[in-house]
Amino acid sequence: MAQIDARSSSITEVNRTVRKLSGNGEEIVISNPDARHLLCVGVLQPARVRILGSAGYFCGGLSDGPEIEVLNNVGWGLGDNMISGAIVVGQHASAIAGVGMRDGTLVIRGNMGSRAGQVMKGGLILCGGNANFMAGYMMMGGRIVICGDSGRSVGQNMINGAVYVGGKIEDLGADTQRIDLPASEEDEIRALLDRYEIKAPKAFRKIVSAQAGHHYATYERGESAQADERPRPKQIALPGELWTPRAVEEITVKAELGRYRVRGYGSFREMPTFDDITFNFDPDIITGLHDVRSKCNLATKLGGKFGGKPLSLSMPIMIAPMSYGALSKNVKIALARASRLAGTATNTGEGGMMPEERAEAAQMIYQCLSGRFGFNPHDMQRADGIELYISQGAKPGLGGQLMGKKITAEIANIRGIPIGMDLRSPSRHPDVMGADDLVIKIEEFREATDWRVPISLKIGAGRLRDDIKIALKDNVDFIQIDGMQGGTGASSEVVTENVGIPSLAAIIQAINGLRDIEADGQLQIVLMGGIRGGLDAAKAIALGADAVAIGTAAILAAGCIACMRCHIGSCIRGIATQKPELVARLDIEEAAGRVANFLEGMATEVAAITLACGKTDVHQLDRSDLVALTPQAAAITGLPLRKASRRLVPAGGV
Amino acid sequence: MCGISGLMLTQPGDIGRRLVQMLDGVQHRGPDSTGFAVYHEDRGGPLLCRIYLGCPGDSSQARAYRDKVLAIIANHGGKVLNQRFELEHLRLELQYQGEVKALCYDIENGAGVEILSMGACLEIIKSVGSAFEVDRAYNLSGYRGTHGIGHVRLATESVVDVSRSHPFWAYGFNDVAIVHNGQITNYHKMKRQLEKKGLQFRTDNDSELIAVYLADKLNAGRTLDEVLEESVHELDGTFSFLVSTLDAIGFAKDVLAAKPMVVLERDGMIAVASEEVSLQRLFPGESLSTYEPYPGTFKTWHKSTLARVA
Repeated sequence: MAQIDARSSSITEVNRTVRKLSGNGEEIVISNPDARHLLCVGVLQPARVRILGSAGYFCGGLSDGPEIEVLNNVGWGLGDNMISGAIVVGQHASAIAGVGMRDGTLVIRGNMGSRAGQVMKGGLILCGGNANFMAGYMMMGGRIVICGDSGRSVGQNMINGAVYVGGKIEDLGADTQRIDLPASEEDEIRALLDRYEIKAPKAFRKIVSAQAGHHYATYERGESAQADERPRPKQIALPGELWTPRAVEEITVKAELGRYRVRGYGSFREMPTFDDITFNFDPDIITGLHDVRSKCNLATKLGGKFGGKPLSLSMPIMIAPMSYGALSKNVKIALARASRLAGTATNTGEGGMMPEERAEAAQMIYQCLSGRFGFNPHDMQRADGIELYISQGAKPGLGGQLMGKKITAEIANIRGIPIGMDLRSPSRHPDVMGADDLVIKIEEFREATDWRVPISLKIGAGRLRDDIKIALKDNVDFIQIDGMQGGTGASSEVVTENVGIPSLAAIIQAINGLRDIEADGQLQIVLMGGIRGGLDAAKAIALGADAVAIGTAAILAAGCIACMRCHIGSCIRGIATQKPELVARLDIEEAAGRVANFLEGMATEVAAITLACGKTDVHQLDRSDLVALTPQAAAITGLPLRKASRRLVPAGGV
Repeated sequence: MCGISGLMLTQPGDIGRRLVQMLDGVQHRGPDSTGFAVYHEDRGGPLLCRIYLGCPGDSSQARAYRDKVLAIIANHGGKVLNQRFELEHLRLELQYQGEVKALCYDIENGAGVEILSMGACLEIIKSVGSAFEVDRAYNLSGYRGTHGIGHVRLATESVVDVSRSHPFWAYGFNDVAIVHNGQITNYHKMKRQLEKKGLQFRTDNDSELIAVYLADKLNAGRTLDEVLEESVHELDGTFSFLVSTLDAIGFAKDVLAAKPMVVLERDGMIAVASEEVSLQRLFPGESLSTYEPYPGTFKTWHKSTLARVA
C-alpha cells in the first residue's frame, strides 16, 4: 500500500504520484483530501485508489481504468469523460456526476446533484439516494439507476440510453417516455445494486427517449425528396428597401419549415471588414521589395505561459477548427498535411481526433466542445494544444449542428450518437456555468496533460471587452477570437446573420479590454472569422493579434466552389460531405498542395507588408502602420481617417 | 462570477479568522477582490459605520472627507463617539436616532465618500486582493462575533474596485448585507422599480440590487423567509446568494441551479459555501456530512433558534 498525504503536496504532485504508482496493482491511499479539486485526474492505467474523506470537482476525471473509492462526498463532475473504471462514493455527489462518460461505473451511495449523466455516452451510474433535477440531461447512451426520488425533468432531451427510478418521479423531462421494463432487465439492475450492497427499491420505472428530437420535423430543400416536391413559393419583388427579395424569401421559407432555416457558409450581410482599413506605407517602397520571406521574421510561438510547450509556427497563420463530420475525411487529411507542409498547426474542430489527420499534422490543437463528442483523454495526450470551445462567430450562443445526412456509421460511432440523427450540440458546457467554473475546467485539462501543452479558449465575438478579461483570469495560454464573418457547416441562418460582431471590431474590443486592466501583451490572441489572405492577416496583427486562423479561405483553396450544400451534405467537391462517391472526388494530395501553396502565398504577403512598413518582424507591426478608409472604420478602430504623410525607409535596404 | 461563504455560531467566536480560511478555500473562484460582512455580538451600543475614502487615512484629503462627514452627521443630530482611520477606511461609532437612509444619502452625496456598512453590529470590510491580503491589511482575524458572510470576486462585467466588491451592504438599511454568485438578468427593470420608490444605488453591479431589494421588503415588515421565497420568483437569471441580518443568515438559489452551494449544519454552527472545499477549511481532515440545497429553494437560520440545529 502506498500513502499520499494530500495536505503536504500540491494536487499536481498527488496526481503525478498516482500516475506513477498506477499499473502495478498496489493500493494507493490518499489522506487529508479536504474536498480539493482534480484528485486522480488523467489516470490512464488501472489503479486502485482510496480517498479518505471528500474530494472536490472532477474527481477521477479524464481517466481510463482507475478504481477509486471516496469515503465521503464529491464535488461537480465526478468521473468526467471517464473511459473505463469504477468510482464509488460513500456519501453524496454534487452536480453532473458522470458528465460525458463513455464507459465504466459510478456508484453514489447517497444523493446526487443536478444533471447527473449529462451528455454521457455509455457506462453506468448507480445512485442509492435521490437525484436532483434533470438526471440524464441530453444523455446519449448508458444507464442511470436512481434508487430514491428523482427531481424535475428527469431525462430531459435524452437521445439514447435509459434512466431507472425507484422512488417518486417529480416529472418527466421533454422528449422522454416511460416504458415497462422486462423482469430480466429488472433482475439485472438488482444484481448490479447487490454487487455494491445498495438496497434496491420495490420496483423501478424506466425512462427512455421519445426520439422526437432526433430529427427536425421538417426538412430543407435538397435534404429529402418530400421537401423538394414542395411547390416553390412565388418570387415577390416589392419596391423599397424594407421588403427586400431576401427578406421575403426568409418569410416564405420559414412558413414552410416552421422553424429557423439551417445553412452553411457564413454571414452574407454587409458589415465593416479589413478592407475598410489599409496600411499607410509609401507605395513606392513596394517596387524595391524582393525575396521578402528571407528578410522578414514570421515565426510565431503560441502558449507557454504556464510552462507547456508552445506551438511553434513558421507563420502567424493556422488552420481554423473544422470538424470531421462537417468536413469529409479527405479534406481534413488534406488540411492537416497542408499545415505540416507550411510549418503551422491545424485544429480538430468538434467530433474528435481522426487518426489519419493526427498522423499528417505536425502540430494539432484538440478541441473540446459542449457535447464532448469524440473527446477522450488518450487523444488529449496526442495533442499539441487543447482548446475549450465556448462559441463560434457563425453562431455565438449555439452549439454545432450536424444534419442527419452527414452522420454516417463511423461518425456516429466516434461521437457516440445514433446514425442519421440531426445532431444539435448543446449550447453550453455542462460543467462551465460561469467564469468561476471555467477556471477549474482549465486546470483539469492541465492536470490531464500534466501541464505539457497550451490550453486555449475559442470565443465567438460578442462582448469581448468583458470576455477577454475573464479569459485572462481563467489562466488560458491564448484566446482564439472568431468574428461574425466566421464560417460554419450548418447553423441557424438567423443567428449567423444577426448575432455577434465583425472581426474588425472584435480585435479592437479584445485589445481594449486588456488595456482597460493594463494587461496588454499578457494574453495572446488569435483572430479568425473571414480572414481572406495576407493583407487581412497583417492588418489583424497590426491591430494586436498574435496570429490568425483561416477556415473558409482554406476550404476555398482546397477547391470549394460555394455550392451551398454543406448543411445537407451534398458538397459536389467532396469537402463538406460524407457521401463516399462525393468524398472520393477530393484528391488529398492535390488539395493539400493547394492549401499549402495558399498558406505560403499568405505568408509572403504578410512578409512584404511588414517590410513595406519598415519592419523586419511581423510582430513589430502596430496601429501606427494603419489608417482607416471610412468614417465607420475610423469610429470602430480609432485609427486616423486620412492617409498619413510620413515616408518610410524600409528596413534591410530592400 | 464568484465564490461565497457564510458562517453562524451559537456562541460569539473568532468569526473573522474562520471566514478568512473559508474564503481562501474558494479563492480560485474569484481572484480579483475579497470581502467580509461580520456581525459583532449585539451589545446595544452605538451604530457602527465604515466609510471607504479612496485615499490613505493619513492624507489631508482623508481628513477633509472626514470633516465633511462629521459635519453632515452633526446636521442630522448625530453624535460621533469614536473615530479612527484604518488604511483607506474611516470607522465611526455614532449615536443617531433618526432615519438611517436619509443620513446615508446625505453623507454619500454631500461628502463624496462611500459608506461600506452601517448597523448596530455589522461591519463590511472589502478590498481588491486575496482573503489573506485583506486579512493582513484589516486584521479580519481579530474580529469576534456571531455570524458573517464573505465573497471572492471574479469580475465579469463591472470594474474591479472596492465599490463593486462584495458583500454589498443594503445601502440605507442597517445591518443587511448580501453576497452573490451569478448574474441577475432583470436587474435594470427591478432597479428602476426601486429607484421609483426613492431608493438609491451606488454601482452598476447587479448584485447590489439584491441587497436593496431584500432590505426594502424587510423594512416593510416582511420576515426573512417570506422575502427569500419571493426573491426566488422575482429575480431572474442565475443566483446562489447569502443574506445576513442582525440575527439571521439565509440563502436563495435560482431554479436553474447554475451556481453551486453546499451546507453544513452541525452542533454549534451552520456553514454555507460555494464548494465543500471551503467548509473543509473549518474541519481539516474530518469527514463532513454536508448537503446541497435544491434549485429554487431558500432557507434561513436565526441566532435565537440555531441552538436547536443538530
